[in-house]
Amino acid sequence: MSDDLKSYLNRLPDLEMAMLLEAYEKPLPEGFRANTLKSSEERILERLRRRGYEFRKIPWARYGYVLAGGENLGKTIEHMLGLIYLQGPVSMAPAEVLDPRPGELVLDLCASPGSKATQIAQLLEGRGVVVANDISYERLKALTSNLQRFGVLNCVVTLADGRKYPRFAWELFDKVLVDAPCSSLGIVSRDWGIARSWSTRLVERLSSLQKQLILAGFDCLKPGGVLVYSTCTLTVEENELVVDWLLKMRDSARLVDFSLPGLKRRSGLTEFGDFKLDEELRKTARIMPYDNWAEGFYIAKIAKEG
Amino acid sequence: MKLLSSSERRYFEERLRAQYGVENGFSEYVLIKAGQGRVRAATLEAFEVAARLRRVQQVGLYVAKLVKGDVILSIEGSQLLNGKIRKNVIELSEPEAEGWMRASPIEKPIKPGIRYVVAKCEELYLGSGRASRDGRIYPQVAKWRRISEE
Repeated sequence: MSDDLKSYLNRLPDLEMAMLLEAYEKPLPEGFRANTLKSSEERILERLRRRGYEFRKIPWARYGYVLAGGENLGKTIEHMLGLIYLQGPVSMAPAEVLDPRPGELVLDLCASPGSKATQIAQLLEGRGVVVANDISYERLKALTSNLQRFGVLNCVVTLADGRKYPRFAWELFDKVLVDAPCSSLGIVSRDWGIARSWSTRLVERLSSLQKQLILAGFDCLKPGGVLVYSTCTLTVEENELVVDWLLKMRDSARLVDFSLPGLKRRSGLTEFGDFKLDEELRKTARIMPYDNWAEGFYIAKIAKEG
Repeated sequence: MKLLSSSERRYFEERLRAQYGVENGFSEYVLIKAGQGRVRAATLEAFEVAARLRRVQQVGLYVAKLVKGDVILSIEGSQLLNGKIRKNVIELSEPEAEGWMRASPIEKPIKPGIRYVVAKCEELYLGSGRASRDGRIYPQVAKWRRISEE
């Protein structure tokens, strides 16, 4: 880990460095969702049990499980047939907070590789539409493959710069997920290169992009709609400061409380260094990797008044 | 992004009926041309939303490919028709199904003249396979869907 990163993390008031380093050394738990678009949850679980897999229910995610025993699920016929979707347990939280309802029109603005887009499709139960967008043609391949394997009929895939989406989708959507590209400090145990290549310049650049993306996502929301902003990182510049900026830029933006049963989390920061932020940011959630010995995340739920 | 014309849709449905005994296959969905004989299925609502957006890359699911008048069903295409497929279905055991998903050819007795069959394991459909003159069936599983050997 670079000295720059250590010094930054030490400035975070709610971070315990020794615990974070311990979490970074541990492999992330393997989670999966049973795909109820293809079969019943019980049938899928029964198939996995027959093969010797053991798993525990994830309390905050419908259809979500974490593997407790058994070999790599990625090589199973259940995975290849799309009966299960491999996804980190905390990564299932943002779509749960968004809570798509059957019949709604939902935008996933930065959708690749499609974990959350397929989760949204599952929660829509085949009614309504999920629009999955990404800016990268290369990443779109993973997204389209995953939507196909998951069996999503009510989806549209677009290849566009998310920042420009309001030009043709102004106030079109009931719900929007902005799971923004980030410096990924919540998933370092998957790839230590993340910690090695981290820099304050990278964070500044990402923060600027995230501000534009959250604003674009918000402008695509119908009045009365709900936006969820999430990242898998820990920096304030990529999390609270981005949401605080949206609150300043759009009068109709209001933070909303949410619950995630069984998921250990802490409130969003309202002060950091020289920054004094909106008190409402306490309604957002910071999740450290050692809180649940899983991925670190930041989640904010924002409603558009009107 | 074009829908199958009514005559193209009729032809596709006729072939589905002739090959797999499917009546009213995909009747609740719109069918979209996707190039090289590929057919995608989507809900009408998804198709209408796509028409409002820009830079649309695809809509719905790839369900089948028409090759020289034969319908080759994708895994999802066959799963969507679940219960409607009444002809040319081969039942696989669990190990055979795993072999199918590795695209390994399998030997099953097939009536002469049949070019494509659909594989099924318990309640799960696994897409089409090509029946060859050498008595084997070759699964038409896309490379990216195959279980790797390692």
